[in-house]
Amino acid sequence: MIQYAAIVLIVLGIYGLLTNRNVLKMIISINVMEVGLNLFIISVGYVTDGFAPILSSVHNSSALIYVDPLPQALVLTAIVIGVGTTALGLALAKNMYNKYHTLNLDEMRDE
Amino acid sequence: MMTLSPVLLIAAPLLLAFLSILSKKVAPILLVVASLFNIAVLFFIPAGIVNIGGFDQPVGINLFVDNFSFYGLLAVNVLFAIVVILNLKNYPKYSTVLLVSLAALNGLLLTGDLFNLFVFLEIASISAYLITSSNKKPSSTFKYLVLGSLGSSLYLFGLIILYAMFGTLNLMDMIHQIDVANAPYTSLILPFFLMFAGIGVEAKLLPFNSWAKPIFEHSNTLSGPMIGSVYAATMSLVMARLITNLFAFEGTLLTVVTVLLVAGVVLGEVMAFSTKNIREILLYSSISQVSIAMLLFLNQIGWWGFFLVLVNAFSKLVLFFIINHAVKDSNDDSLHGLKGLFRKNIVVGVIFTIVSLSVAGLPLFVGFIIKLNYMTILAVQGQIWLVAIILLATVVEGIYFIRLLVKLWYKEEGEDLSVHFPLVYKLIFGAIALAILAFGLYSTPLTSVNTTLDSVGDQIEVIYNE
Repeated sequence: MIQYAAIVLIVLGIYGLLTNRNVLKMIISINVMEVGLNLFIISVGYVTDGFAPILSSVHNSSALIYVDPLPQALVLTAIVIGVGTTALGLALAKNMYNKYHTLNLDEMRDE
Repeated sequence: MMTLSPVLLIAAPLLLAFLSILSKKVAPILLVVASLFNIAVLFFIPAGIVNIGGFDQPVGINLFVDNFSFYGLLAVNVLFAIVVILNLKNYPKYSTVLLVSLAALNGLLLTGDLFNLFVFLEIASISAYLITSSNKKPSSTFKYLVLGSLGSSLYLFGLIILYAMFGTLNLMDMIHQIDVANAPYTSLILPFFLMFAGIGVEAKLLPFNSWAKPIFEHSNTLSGPMIGSVYAATMSLVMARLITNLFAFEGTLLTVVTVLLVAGVVLGEVMAFSTKNIREILLYSSISQVSIAMLLFLNQIGWWGFFLVLVNAFSKLVLFFIINHAVKDSNDDSLHGLKGLFRKNIVVGVIFTIVSLSVAGLPLFVGFIIKLNYMTILAVQGQIWLVAIILLATVVEGIYFIRLLVKLWYKEEGEDLSVHFPLVYKLIFGAIALAILAFGLYSTPLTSVNTTLDSVGDQIEVIYNE
């Protein structure tokens, strides 16, 4: 079920990218899409009634059901990359505002 | 013989990238050292799989060296070194970014892990956004960033669907699992198409390449050759690797992908024919060539597709460099503005002519040999309509390249353009033009290749049939 919610978020992000011309709104749309994607990845590793994949004094048997830890590692990487892209996008947005005095892509014209 | 690990190809530039932050003066030197070091290391890396961290595949991440990745790496590293050396004085600020991009490009060609490929794709893309920021057109870089992020997200989405289906991220294991599970191809259409579209953004395939026009319109001697040649070659090879081994398109998806690629060939040529901006002509010609190369990989014509990608990369390097340098000096990149450019630069003019005629596929040049051979194979395979479309594209390409050359060589009135090309340009590009001419006249080294280009399939046999 959570996978549908994740896909809705991804589609919402893409919709935002297609319909917005404001640079900041586009960056937010990219982030919404990435959050959806990350949720989707996490949902792939979900196991009903599974424990966190950490061996502890309480959960110390390999016979227990653990959730898949790999997608969590993947999401961690994807989040870091997403932050990098967002930071770069925001830096470009600042540059664009300094140069064109607007954040609307359609209004950016070279003098 | 001494052997070195292919890990060095990624680790060395990455290490130097961190070190380069410490001193702005030393950074450009580190960049040149890294790019030359990588070329040297290449000759000492053995073929085969290298497992990282002691984990055997499919658990650990691995790097895979075969003819495909070796020659691909060789070409990409040489191209990279040329771009770096020729731009050393102009763009010292970009040294760290270029070092990171070198690591990522090598990683893309070496990795045998599909998630690792995504990570390298993102690192390469972020470096590419920064390289294109040297155009001083943040709005076009931003469009590239948006489409690039969307593309890599689509790739990741497709990959995760595959992971959910087969429980692996390793390329060879994935191919094996798909084979063992005997999964119907219809269930693979969505993930494969998402991944194809994701890399298609970076490989400039239609319809995912709308970012390219504003980037190349304002490109310079760094961003033009780097994105138009080095990145284009790497991404085409990555796409080729996946098309040949993983995707193995069939049924409806094969039809859809073929139609997209054919549309890329036709529209690329038509757009190149209709524009008056020289850099746009080169860009659209590249789009068309990449689409043809992917069509060849789609039809299992490996070596000729591979040669096409490499020759096109070297040719576009020369063409983008010469035009971007001329535009920098003359501040005009229209066909009209650069009229008579070669009247005072005969050596550069001859080089440009040889390279562009090779791209157009005219006899005497290597482009013709490649075109003749893949057309023959396509005809033998019975793909007559594909041959017809490529022939038509060749005619259009021939017309606009000859029209371009006539304009660049002749000027009826007014003063000749005075653009100075440094001697190093003439030497390096002269060597490339000479190689294009030499392989065009003596094609035996190309036609007599009888080794396997891509050994992923053989390696899977070895691993899983023990």
